[in-house]
This record gives sequence, structure tokens and C-alpha cells, in this order.
Amino acid sequence: MVPYVLIAPAILYYAAFWLFPVVRAVVGGFRTAEGVFSLQNYAEIFQDPVFYEALLNTAIIVVLSVALEFVAAFGIALLINRKFKGSTYFLFVAIVPMALPSVAVGAIWTSGFTTYGWLNSFLNHVGLIAANEKIAFLAGSDASSLLLIVIIDAWHVIPLMLIIILAGMQNLDPSFNEAGLIFGGNKWQVLTRITIPMLKQTITTALILRLISALQIWLIIVMLFGFRRLPVLVQEVVYFVEESHTEHYFQIGLAYSVLVAVFVSIVSIVYLNASGAFKTRGSA
Amino acid sequence: MNRLKRRHLARSARMATVYIVVISIALVILFPIYFLFSISLMSGYEAYYEWPLPLMPSLRANVRFVHEENQQFHLEIYNRSEGGFTPTGPVRFSSNSEGLEKVTVYMRRHLNVELEDAEISRYLAEATERGSVQVKLGKSILANYITFFKVTRDAVPSVVRSLLTAGITILISLIIGGMAGYAFARYVFGGKNALKIGVLFVRMFPAVAIAIPMVIILGSIGLYDRPAGLSLIYSVSQISLTVWIMTSIFSGISVEMEEAALIFGTTKAGSFFRITLPLALPGIAACAMYAFIGSWNEVVQAVVLTQFRPTFPVVVYQALVGAEGQVNLVTAGSIAQALPAVVFTFIIRKYVLRMWGSVSV
Repeated sequence: MVPYVLIAPAILYYAAFWLFPVVRAVVGGFRTAEGVFSLQNYAEIFQDPVFYEALLNTAIIVVLSVALEFVAAFGIALLINRKFKGSTYFLFVAIVPMALPSVAVGAIWTSGFTTYGWLNSFLNHVGLIAANEKIAFLAGSDASSLLLIVIIDAWHVIPLMLIIILAGMQNLDPSFNEAGLIFGGNKWQVLTRITIPMLKQTITTALILRLISALQIWLIIVMLFGFRRLPVLVQEVVYFVEESHTEHYFQIGLAYSVLVAVFVSIVSIVYLNASGAFKTRGSA
Repeated sequence: MNRLKRRHLARSARMATVYIVVISIALVILFPIYFLFSISLMSGYEAYYEWPLPLMPSLRANVRFVHEENQQFHLEIYNRSEGGFTPTGPVRFSSNSEGLEKVTVYMRRHLNVELEDAEISRYLAEATERGSVQVKLGKSILANYITFFKVTRDAVPSVVRSLLTAGITILISLIIGGMAGYAFARYVFGGKNALKIGVLFVRMFPAVAIAIPMVIILGSIGLYDRPAGLSLIYSVSQISLTVWIMTSIFSGISVEMEEAALIFGTTKAGSFFRITLPLALPGIAACAMYAFIGSWNEVVQAVVLTQFRPTFPVVVYQALVGAEGQVNLVTAGSIAQALPAVVFTFIIRKYVLRMWGSVSV
């Protein structure tokens, strides 16, 4: 009885401030501005070519950023786990970007990537480019713009992934790795056959949290490129609510957000299922 | 002996590689932040007329007052990237009060230099005598920060609102999340795993998508565009984190302590408040700081849920994306916004690993 009393406030809170707005969003998405049931909003979204562009861009960003961030975070975690002299200070440096507000990250990179920004200046100072060879980072093709976004996002969120993986690594019993080495395994074999399998649950956690938030990247894109230059799904939600001036913009925004949530849930469930997270839980 | 030496050499080489990698990663992380900070100390002149941007902000402005003829003057400013003086500023001015005013305003706005009329008059007198006079004027270092808060509409009240929002968020999420975390750490009960997955599920609905219907819901209870309304929404994502973190904190405190207190005749509540809570206090403080960071940094939902009473991140965001923001002022605003979160992260750096250690789906 006691535990239910203790978790009741949390559940009630979620019912009031999460479930209720979600239900409102789902219902509102199926309504016209006058409150009549209709599929109009979804029809409009599916007829909008920007939607498909946004879907594709989101998919590219998610795949690239999750892969890049995982590999980098895992590598840095292995490095810190060697416990070299000064590794605790390095850990603090490595998690600083995590503490930065997204607006500050936006300011760093907008002032960096503009043609007269600090990045070109820096490249000029170290002699990599001449004054008339300034790189127009923000005016590149869509592919290079997407790449910029992936890099900036990686810079910002690798720390969180690093923390989760490193915490998992430090919970591991080092004697397993030692045993692997003693029985003749080389370092690579120990890493792939002992460390990574034992970290499976940690890796699943890190990847699912990252997957969910990578699907929702949009603010940094708007800060760098403005609305609709490089559309992604969540950006479209905000675009319809804040920027668009169609008469039922609000309902379209709601319908859009429901679509995004459905996508995120599908991807998450497929991933969790594939990684076996459901199975291990069932047996535990 | 030789083999020992070679092995020693190989070891040193490996350590050297590790440090090279570590230092390059640290530079990739710190350089962008350094540049942001550096620009926030530059005057408008440095940020806009010097390219490549200097690696360091100057501490002084190098200015030359040039006398043309008949008490007509112009300003020349030393440009570090060009390596010489170039005529800039109020193109031509005289030594009358109108001219002095022009110079004062220009110095303040573009060079971050505060200069009194008497001083300017003195320089002009010297320039009249000798044709031109060259002076190095001390910049006021924090000028951009002061200017940002002065010229950006609503900047100071928005900081107060952000603090208020963060305070309420911490209160709500610690109480509600702490209770649930304690239950997760101490009890086995049906539906525990379902709840854990539920905490994850909550994150799948985009934060901004919750904010949109919330506009109407908060409007109907009179909390739209208010700090209290915002913190109600922030607490949704904060509670799920708090539950995770508090679970790990309470799990780290042994049950035996509580049981011992019970044997010595305290009530269950007494043992919690006298034994467990004090022991958990550092962890709880870290958790509160974490909630503060989350609330203080949040901008996405705040953009949707505020209108006339924005929070500080929204003010900085609007200065950044809006056309009116000068880059050196916006960077000052961003640094001011980033500072508390970075300081708190430094304070809780030892807890961060432990907080996230137990997070698992």
C-alpha cells in the first residue's frame, strides 16, 4: 500500500499535465478551427511536399547523429576509463557542453559559422585559408547543412551519452576484463566480446534516450538557418503554431505533433524490441 | 635491459598518444566556448570592422584625434587586423558641445569606452596644437553585459521570472519525484517496470507538442504566460529525471540504518526524516541543481508558452534570431545565461556519474 501512496502524486501529476494535454492534442488534431471532426489537418500535412522533405531530413539527422555520437562517446568513455593522470579534470571539461543552454550553443555556432565568424577567422589565423577564401558554411548545399547540424548537435550532446556509458563502465567488475586478457584475448577481443556485451543495458539506455531526442532536434536548425530552410518534423510543428498564418494553423500544429509522437514511439519500440530490452525485462 | 628499455619507451609513446587525443578533444570542446566568451568582451568595432576576428579582445582602444582645420576634427581608430589607423566614427565634428556629444556616444556604442567631455576637449586642444593626438583609452570590460541588460527589453525582469520558474520547478519535482524515487528504491510492487517504461514513454511526445495544447489549458486556469504555469510544464520532464536520480540516491543509503532506527523506537516517518533524509541531502541538493539547470536552460516550451512575460532564455533567443541583436551583445547575453548552469555543473560534477549510473530502461 505504501509504495502506491508514494507514487500516486507522480501519476496524478502526469495525468493532469501530460496525459490531458496529449489527449487534447490528439482530439484537436482531428478538428477544424470551428471544432468539427475532420481529417482535413492530416490530409493537408500529407499533401504538403515540405512534410516529406522534413521526414527525410529528420531520418538523415537521426541516423548520422546517433551513430556518430555513440561511437565518439564510447571512445571517450574508454579513454577516461583508463584513469590517466588528470582524467577527472578531463571529465569535467568533457561534460561542459551538456551544461550549456541550447541558446548559448546556438550563439556559439551562429557566430562561428557565419562567413565573417570566428571559425573562418581562426582558420585564417592558423594559416589554413587566405582572407579571400572564407568558407560560406551556412550557404552550402542541403547535405552540407545537415552535416553541420549533426556536428553541432554531436558537440552539444555527446557529453550526456558519455556520462551514461562511462557510469555503466565504472559499474563493471574489472576482473572480467582481466580474466579475458589472462586467458589470451587481445584488447580488441576483450572489448568486443566482454565489455560491450556486459554494457548492453547501458548502451540500450544511452541509444534510446539519444534516439528520442535526436528525432526532436529543431531549435539549432532554426537558430542557424531560420524556419523552413532545412525543414525537420518538430520544426514544422512550431512553424505552424508560431509562424504560419493559415486559419487553422493551431489544429495543424496539433496534428503534426501527434504524427511526430507516433513516429518517435514507433522508432523507439522497434529499437527496444530489436535490442531485446522487452525480453530481458520479462525474465527479470 | 634493452628489452626493458624498449618496453618503457613503448609505454611512454602510448601515454603520449593518450594525452594528445585528450588535449585535442578538450580543445574542440573549449575553443568554441572561448571564442563566444572572447566576442562577448569585444567592442562593436572589433567585432564588425576587424577581420580576421582577433584571437583575444583588446583591453584598450587605440584612437587618434585628427585636426583637419578650423576646429574640425575626425577620428581614426587602430584596426588590429589591418595593422593601421583608419578614419571611422562620426565623420567630422567640431569642438562644440554637439561635437563632444557625438564623440561620447560613438565611443560608448562602438568602442566600449566611457569618456568625459573634459577629457575629449583636452585631446582636441592637443590635436589642434600638434595636428593630431594619439591615445590609448581603457575599455570598460563588462560593457557588453551591462549594455545587453540595459538595451534588451525585459532582460532584467526576465531573469527574475526565470529564477522564479526554476524555484517552483525544483519544489514540485523534488517533492513528487522524491516520493516516487523512494518508493522505487525501497519497495517491490506490481507495475514497477511498467512505470519505469512509462517514464521513458513520456519523453516520446515532443516537449513542444505538449506546450501547444497547454496554451489553452493554462489559459483556462489563468496561468498562461506566467512563471508558475511554465514550471508546471517543466516539472513534467523534470519529475521523470528526478525519479531516476532519487532512486539511485536512496538505493545508495542502506536500509539497515532505517531498520536500526525503527528498533530504537522511532516511527517509520521519524526514521525517514532523521536518518535517510539527512544522509540523502547532498544527493538531493545535486538533484535540485540539476533541475535548476534544466529549467533555467529551457527555451523551446517557453517560446510557445510566454508572450509578454518571457523567461531569460527566450529574451536571449529572440536577440539571437531577431535582426536587432548585435553579435557582441548577444554573445554577452548567452554567456550570462550559460554561467549559472556551468557553475552548478562544476559543483555537482562528482554526482553526475552517480546520478546517471542507475538510469536504465
